[in-house]
Order: sequence, then structure tokens, then C-alpha cells
Amino acid sequence: MSILYDLFHMSLISAVPLLVVAIGAMISERSGVVNIALEGLMLMGAFVGIAVIKTIEDSNSTMSIQWILLIGILVGGAVGSVFSLLHAYAAISMKSNQIISATALNLFAPAFAIFTARTIQNGQQIPFTSVFRMSEVPFFSKIPFLGDLFFKDVFLSFYIGIFVLIVVFFFIYKTRFGLRLRSCGENPHAADSLGINIYKTRYIAVFLSGLLAGMGGVMFVTSTSTEFNATVAGYGFLALAVLIFGNWKPFRIMLAALFFGFMRTIAAAHAMIPFLENLRIPSEFYNMIPYIATLIVLSFASKKSQAPKAAGQVYDQGRR
Amino acid sequence: MKEGRMTSFLYQKTGGIHLSYIIEMNNICKQFGTLKANDDVTLQVKKGEIHALLGENGAGKSTLMSVLFGLYQPDGGEIFIKGEKVSISNPNDANRLGIGMVHQHFKLVEAFTALENIVLGAEDTKYGFLTLDKAREKVIALSKLYKLEVDPDALISEISVGMQQRVEILKMLYRDAEILIFDEPTAVLTPQEIEELMNIIRKFAREGKSIVLITHKLNEIKSIANRCTVLRKGKYIGTVDVDKTTTQQMAEMMVGRKVSFTVEKGEKTPGEVILKVENLTVMNKAKNKALVKHATFEVRAGEIVGLAGIEGNGQTELVHAITGLRPFSEGKITILGVDATRDSIRNKYEKGLGHIPEDRQKHGLILDYNLAENLILQSYYLPKFQKRGFLKFDSIYLHAKELIERFDIRSASGAKSSVRSMSGGNQQKAIVAREISRDPKLLMAVQPTRGLDVGAIEYIHKQLIRQRDEDKGIFMVSLELDEIMDVSDRILVMFEGAIVAELDPKLTTVNELGLYMSGSKGGTSH
Amino acid sequence: MNGNEEKVKHPLLEKIKPSLIAVGCGLLVGLVIMMIFNIQEAFGGFFTMLVGALNQGTKSLGDMLYMATPIILTGLSVGFAFKTGLFNIGAAGQMVVGAYTAIHIGVLWNIPAPFHWIVAILFGALAGALWGFVPGLLKALSNVNEVVATIMMNFIGMYLVMYMIKANVLNPLDSRTLNVRDTALLPTWGLDKIFPGSAVNIGIVVAILVVVIIHIILNKTTLGYQLKATGYNKDGSLYAGINTKRNIVISMSIAGFLAGLAGALYYLKLGNHLSTHAGLLPQGFDGISVALLGLSEPIGALIAGLFLSYIRQGGFYMQLYEFKPEIIDIIISTIIYFSALAVALQFFFRKRIQKMKEKKRKKANEEEAKQ
Repeated sequence: MSILYDLFHMSLISAVPLLVVAIGAMISERSGVVNIALEGLMLMGAFVGIAVIKTIEDSNSTMSIQWILLIGILVGGAVGSVFSLLHAYAAISMKSNQIISATALNLFAPAFAIFTARTIQNGQQIPFTSVFRMSEVPFFSKIPFLGDLFFKDVFLSFYIGIFVLIVVFFFIYKTRFGLRLRSCGENPHAADSLGINIYKTRYIAVFLSGLLAGMGGVMFVTSTSTEFNATVAGYGFLALAVLIFGNWKPFRIMLAALFFGFMRTIAAAHAMIPFLENLRIPSEFYNMIPYIATLIVLSFASKKSQAPKAAGQVYDQGRR
Repeated sequence: MKEGRMTSFLYQKTGGIHLSYIIEMNNICKQFGTLKANDDVTLQVKKGEIHALLGENGAGKSTLMSVLFGLYQPDGGEIFIKGEKVSISNPNDANRLGIGMVHQHFKLVEAFTALENIVLGAEDTKYGFLTLDKAREKVIALSKLYKLEVDPDALISEISVGMQQRVEILKMLYRDAEILIFDEPTAVLTPQEIEELMNIIRKFAREGKSIVLITHKLNEIKSIANRCTVLRKGKYIGTVDVDKTTTQQMAEMMVGRKVSFTVEKGEKTPGEVILKVENLTVMNKAKNKALVKHATFEVRAGEIVGLAGIEGNGQTELVHAITGLRPFSEGKITILGVDATRDSIRNKYEKGLGHIPEDRQKHGLILDYNLAENLILQSYYLPKFQKRGFLKFDSIYLHAKELIERFDIRSASGAKSSVRSMSGGNQQKAIVAREISRDPKLLMAVQPTRGLDVGAIEYIHKQLIRQRDEDKGIFMVSLELDEIMDVSDRILVMFEGAIVAELDPKLTTVNELGLYMSGSKGGTSH
Repeated sequence: MNGNEEKVKHPLLEKIKPSLIAVGCGLLVGLVIMMIFNIQEAFGGFFTMLVGALNQGTKSLGDMLYMATPIILTGLSVGFAFKTGLFNIGAAGQMVVGAYTAIHIGVLWNIPAPFHWIVAILFGALAGALWGFVPGLLKALSNVNEVVATIMMNFIGMYLVMYMIKANVLNPLDSRTLNVRDTALLPTWGLDKIFPGSAVNIGIVVAILVVVIIHIILNKTTLGYQLKATGYNKDGSLYAGINTKRNIVISMSIAGFLAGLAGALYYLKLGNHLSTHAGLLPQGFDGISVALLGLSEPIGALIAGLFLSYIRQGGFYMQLYEFKPEIIDIIISTIIYFSALAVALQFFFRKRIQKMKEKKRKKANEEEAKQ
């Protein structure tokens, strides 16, 4: 029985970074800008965020562990958002091919991280020592059933993720800015003819997607590892799959992220499940599961896609 | 165009009081690259007036109004609104000056509701959150006042074209526009809906609003406008009092020469059946609505069958089903006596199908290829143009040269021109040339003259009639009733996916066509 | 007659201008970054990067050719797919399955020379083709986004190959593949005399041959005509009777074939092994850079691949100047970024110049009118 709880907790841990990054991707695509630079943005955020965490740890500060994590996440977010502006500039102001500029960022991020890390400290790994996992949240963990599910063996990232989900939901669907943002992604010509500033709206959307991607990067590394090692294991691209599977809607995205988190958990924790262990499947096949699952899911989800109509298309005011 | 048929339209004029000009656009110049869309154009509109802006496609009407609406900035000239000089740098400025525009291609967000579309850009908020109750009340009130029936919570993707246009009009009224610009508003309406729209516009004028009506339809101008400004090829030709000018005179101003409104067509007796369509049914993507319902008809050799109908009643889907661009759920298609129901598109071409498609840039051409490459689009694999998988460029360019000469296709660099850079008229000529030169037995022509100037229209009509005289079967879909009446030998009318009438152009009237097109069966006008 | 006569511009020059500008800007940014980190060594390091490949004469040139081979082919792979409207981010996965297949045949099969290596690279390429076929099929049948699909295939390929190595051709002492038999190694056919001491072999010859073949296919055959049409305008191709679904599958399979070939050619070399440590082959991603710089043209892939290999060689020698070689990857990604901008930058400057000219003309007209 406790295995089920463990699996659930592990799924949550895997799912949260996916959720946060995919929500960011949703904001960007709903404004009309495809952002496949998420992998690179996550990595940049993780790099600087973890570096900051390590710096705080090394300075023997008495700051509480969760505060250190929070600062790391916010710094990562800031870095991600600044870097996403490069993609925004290319895609929006310069009207270039959005895939190319995003690919450039994805290539730049690991190169820059490794180069800087090796130059400063002679190695590309940045380890951290804090244990960020909370074995239980005081008071809330006593709630029957829900306490076991959501308030034990959990990271701060989880609560941040839920917060982000709810805030973004209201932002996109209930505010004026959200309405205008969606119009930019569905029919920029209509929005433009009503005086909405497409460029400004899209810049903000890409900026927010970078913020969330950077945060997601720190969340990913702190919850799955003890060091930064210049990779986010394809999470940036998995987040895109989550976005597609979630049909560009916040709560569906959450379900999709949970699904993929669960797949990853099976892959990582197969040794814990006696039923699976008896099948004696080589561990590499377990590693493949999330990716194969993605392909299968996408083959069914892509047909009924409700992508924003103008996503990926360059908007040129000169050609109104 | 036969004026006799237009007598059923009411000739009413408004009695607006002309105080001074509410709009003055003086010496406007706007250039795109080397193209002078507006070359020293002047437009002056009086308050309470219905002012028509007449010109062919490409004359510069839409550009001029886009300047007025703030979508473009003029390179030269001045604009005065209510006597004051203004600079309109974006649609917000235009809105503030009380200018509103209903565009030819609606600018609506399909995923939003009607209400959301109307308030977009002018939303009421509380701390940033949307509060739409007041807006909803205002929209419902306006809708009642002007008889513009609209369901505020309906999704745009699910409502009719007529209602979509009403949403566009409400967008203007919601912002208290005093100057209303309509860009070709009647292209998508039945004759009855057109009359309703005309009444609404007359009401606007009676209330002191000023209207600019962009159109190329002379009968509408005669029916509703006070004065008319004519543009031709970007230049200002003149402004006339509509009462004192005949349609013939206006047409000559528009085109620059004497225009013949009739199409030369001899008699012809149809021969064998070329195309037989039986019980054709096409479902929508969600499989819950039939877009084409059990269509059954024939096209015979030596006849032109015209399909009339309002845009969006299934014509597109019908043609796509027959030509193979879209699957259908029921029905049988026979070409020259051979069952072609399950044929691939290529098989149909090989059986003698020719197709001038509705959307020339989406289906008819590959814009990134050059003219010669486009002229072999369906035929590149034939022995004439390839040997063992390798293209025979000599033959290909020779073929292109022949077609360019025979059909007078104009382009910057001949056969090597990038098709993207060619004008719409010449792109269409290229497609027509290609299809006709393949010597099809059955030619499907969908809106073959859309967006073309009078000269090109005349030319293509001549080509279609020549094909018919050579015993080809031609199926022509058109939204222009004049084209249907003049060119067809037999008319079919489509309404909501079903073929509801078969008429003889010599015996029927535009009005009768209109009644069938809008779903009311029965002969006489009301 | 308006005064807007434009000079007839040389079409080829116009096409490659954006790439040249991008390369220039990328190198400049790289220099600036180097200056930020270590101002004293920056210029020396930069100069070494530009010249480094010539450092040891024919040896380093030969090495450059050897290292260029796989990225020319992955560049061809990405570029070919791109030309036909598809983004092949999966070259890394296609390359690794191709590499494994070639190694497997090289280690375990016993075929006399000269057929051994021929069979090995053929099957390697076919394995890559399979790896491209799958996302192509998914795209054609279910409209699955090929960017995400090919990335998934990268990871699936990586893990699959790890398993296969452990199961079949593992050298347990070093956690990598066993040595390939001599008969399966790519011959050198005299190239080692021209470039003594280097790693070069006929791989580069095969690569150049393939470049020519792909060029012919794309530009001179009905297959190329169809594939490009499908990439430029899917609707128009459908209208034309072209089987667009089949073409998507064919394009991705060919792209996979090329990347698989890259893997086979690179690893049938003495001293080259696949390791069992997880990692995506970097040449797969270099292919994206090569394709973009080479404007998706086959000849472009050749030139861009040689260029990339050239400055990578230089980058290797840059370590003498206290710079980590990853600076090269930074420079390359910057070049890619600028190549995305460059086309737009050109437009931007051209418009500016036009506007200035028009202002001048307006003024001149007004002066005339006053007189």
C-alpha cells in the first residue's frame, strides 16, 4: 500500500516541472509564438539557479532550506525570462523562422553552461547539498488521506506548480489581457484591427514562458538529482508533448503532466514493483517508456488538435 | 447586366442634410514597393450621406479606406474629419474619431463568442478582470434597435455568415461610430439579405451617420447611394451624383472604355453525359451534419452547368468531393460512363478531369515554384516531361513558352518567373491555361473570375464558351449571379447542401434565383 | 517611369549573403565572449581558432575532412527534410542506430573484404532510414508533430542501442563496443598518403558522392519535384494528384538513411567506439547547424560541414590558450541565431535605405515644384 503512495509522490515530483514548463509553452503558443527553446531555457535557468543555490550553501548562511530553494527557483525563472527575449526578438520583431531561433537557443544553452562552468570551476557539474524534500508539511500532513497524498514526501515545487496553474488559468480566461492574448494567437488580424498591440502582447507571452521554463529547470534538477549536469533530459521537449496532449488547456495539461510523470516513475522505479521485477525486462527498456508513451499518445491526440490558429505564423503589420 | 431585372429593388434615397464635409481625404498617396495603390486620390463625404466608392478589384478602394481606418499610413496627402486635420496612425485613433469599418473578410476570432468579439479591445474591467454584463446589455439594446439579430454567447465558428456580418456591424455601433465604412458587404448575402442590409444602412443615414460603401456592384450603388467616387488603377477619376448618372456611364468610368455587358454565346445542343453525380453526401468533420445532401445531377458534352448559391452552402464541399480533395460518405461519381467513385485524384485527371480551383494560391499553384514548373503540376510524370525519372527541362520550358503565348500570360521573367510575384489575374490565367491545355473532357471551374478585372473576366468567359463549343462538359460554380445568368446553359441552385432547383437562364430571373438561394421555394417575388 | 530601378543583383550572392553575415556576427560575438572571460588570451585564442586547422598542415586537414564527414551527412539529412517541409531533429537518433548496426555487422558478421564494410554501411544507413520512417509515418497518418516525434526517437534510439551493445558487442573492460574486424574498417585508398598521420578515410569521398546524388535527386528528378512540392505547399500538391502522405514518409526515410550512413561511416574506424554511457550523439545536432547555414542545399551542406569541422579543429587547439572548446559551440549557436535574423536584417536595412532614398526624392520633387 505504501508503494502506491510512493509511486504517487514520485509521479508528482516528475510531473511538476513538466506542468510548469508546459503551462509556459501554452502562454506563448496561445499568443501565436511557438517556443521550442524550452529545453535551452530550462537549462539556463537550472544552471544559474543551481549555481546560486550552491553559492548560498557555501556561504554558510543560516537561511532555511526552503527559502534557498525558492530563491533558486526565482533566479532560474528570471534567467529563463531574459533569455527568452532573444527568441522573442527574433520571432516577433525580426519576423524570423521561429524554429530556427529556438534551435539556436537550445544549442547555446548547454554550450554556455558547460563553458562557463568549466572555466570557473574546472568541471561541468554543480553539486548542491541541501535536502529539499520535505518529509512532511506540519499540520497539513495530518489530514486523512489527502495529507498522505499531497503533504508528505513532497517538494516546495509542487505547491508553486499548483499556484502557477491556478493563477495562469484565471489570467488567460478571466482577464482582459488574457482575452487579448488569446486573440493574438487565434486571429492577429482581428486583434490588430481593434487596436491591440500584437508585438507587445507576444513579447510578454514569450517572457512569461521563459520565466516558467527557467523555474521548471530549477525544479527539475532539485527534485531529481543532487547536482546540475548540463542536461534536463529532454524535459523541454516532453513539455511540448504535454502541451499538445493537453490540448492547450491548463487543466488538461495538468492531467497530461501527471500521466507522463507516472510513466517516468514506472521507468525509474521498476525495481520497486515486484510484479514488474518478475518480468526481468532490461532497465533500458524502462527508460524508453516515457518516450514511447509520448509517441503513442501523440498519435491519438494530434488528430483533434485545437492549437491556436495563428501559432507559429509570423505577423507582419506591413501586410495587413 | 440587364437593368430590367433590377426593377424589383426599391429605389429609395435618404434625405440627408448636407452641411459640410465630414470626411475629407485630399491627395492621398500610398505606395507598396513600386505599386501605387493610391495615386493622388481625393474623397469628400458629406454628413448623413451614403457615398459609394466604386472601382474594379485592385483600383485602390480598400487601400484608401484602410488609410482612413488607420491600418495604413499615407505617403502623402491630408485627412480632415469634421473640419479638423487629423493623423490616424492605428485603428484606435480611427475609433476615437468615430470611424468604424466592416471588412470584406471578417476580422473575427472564431474561437470566441459574439460578445467577446464585439468588446475585444474595448473591454470593461475591474482590477483587470473582465466584467461583461454592461457590455452585454448594450449589445442587446443595439441589436434590438437596428434589428441586427445576434446571439451574444454563440461561438463565431458556429454561426451563419449573415450573423457574422451583423457581429461586425455591432462592433462598430458598440464603439459609437458615426462614420461607417462597409467593404464589399454584399458578397456573401442573398438578394433578400442584401435588401435588409440596405434598409439598415438607410436607417443609419437617416440618423445622421455617414456611410462609405465600397463596392463594384453598380445596381447597389443605384439603389442606395447619393454620390459615387470612382477610382481606376489607383487614380481618382471623378465623383458623380448617382441620380444623374446611368450605370453604363459609371461602368465606363470604372473601366475606362465602353463596356459590353452581354456575353457572346451561340446555340449548342448538348451531347453525351460526361459527369454523372448520384446521391452524393459529404459530412462535416464532426460527422454530425451533412454539408452536401444527396446531390444528384449530370453535366453533358457541349453544355455549361452553372451552380448558383450563397457562399457556404456546400458548393466548396461538393466540388472537393467530386475532384477528390475531400472524402464523401455516400454517393457515386461517373466520368464518361466509367465509375470514378473510388478513384484517386490523379486517376480522375487521367480520366479527363480539369479543375480550376476556388483558391488559386492554396490549391491551384505552388507559389514557390516558377511558372514553367507550375504549368506541369499535374503532368510532370508523363513521358512528355520526364524520362526514367529525370525531368526533361527542354520540353517543360517549351511547353511553358507555348502556353504563355497562346493565353497571353504576363509575368516579370517569362517561364522562369516566380509565380508568387505574378498578379492575381495572370496567376488565374496560368491555371486556366494549364487546365485547358490538358484537353479535359470535364472542366470544373470554381469562381473562375473572382478578383479579376473586366478584361480578364471577358477573356476567361470566352475560353469557357470555346471549350463548351468543342463539346466539353463544364461545371461552373459562381457567386456572381450575372456570371451565372450570362454564361450558363443550365442553372442549378444549391441551398444548405441540397440542390433545390434546376432552371433555364433564358426563363428565370435573378430574383427567382435569389429566392431559391435563400431557401424559400416558390416563384414570385414578395 | 519611376525612379525605382533596382540593379540586377547576382542571385547566388544574394542567397548566401545572409549566411555570410551570420557567420561574421557569430564570430564577433564569440570574440567578445572570449574577451570577457580572459582579455589577455582572447585574440590569441581567436586567431588560433581561425587558423588552427592548418596548424599541423596535412595532418590536421585530414582530420578535418574525417570529422566533417558525419556532419556533412547529418546536415544533408536535416536539410533534405527541411527542403521537403519537415523538421528532422532526429538525426542524432538515426545516426546512433546506424552506427550500432554497422558496428554489429562489423564485429559479429564474417564477410570477406571488400564487401564487409559495404554491407555494414548499407545496413547502417537502412537502420537510420527505419528510424526516420517511423516519425514520418506518424506524421503522415496522424499528423504528429515531427519535431517532438523525432526527439522522442532520439531517446528511444539511445536507450535501445545501449541495451543492444550490452547484449551483443560489449567490451566490459571499457564500457564500450568491441573492436570492429579489419575487413569492416573503411579503407583509405591512398588518402592516408595525401594526408599522412591523419584519420581520414574514404568516408569523405562517400559523403561528397552522396551530396552530388542528393543534389541531382532534388533538382533534376520527378521524385525531387514531388517532394519539394509537398514541402512548399501540401494543399497544392494534393490538388495536383501527388501522394503527399507517401512523400512525407519517403522524405523522412531518406533523411534517416543519410543520418544512419553518417553513423556507419564515422564508427567503422579503428579506435572509434560507441560507449554505453547515456548520451545523444552531438553530430546529430551539428547537422541542424550545418543544414541551416547551408540553406538546406546539398552543396551548402558540404561547404558548411567543412567550415564547421574547420573551426572545431581550431577550437580544439584553443585549449592551449586556456579556453574550453565549448566556446566553439557557443559561437556556432550564435551563428545559427544570427542566420535566423540575417534574412530579416537584410530586409530591415534595405527598407531603411529605400525610405531614405524616398525622402530624398520627395524633397527633390518639392524643390522642383517650388521653382
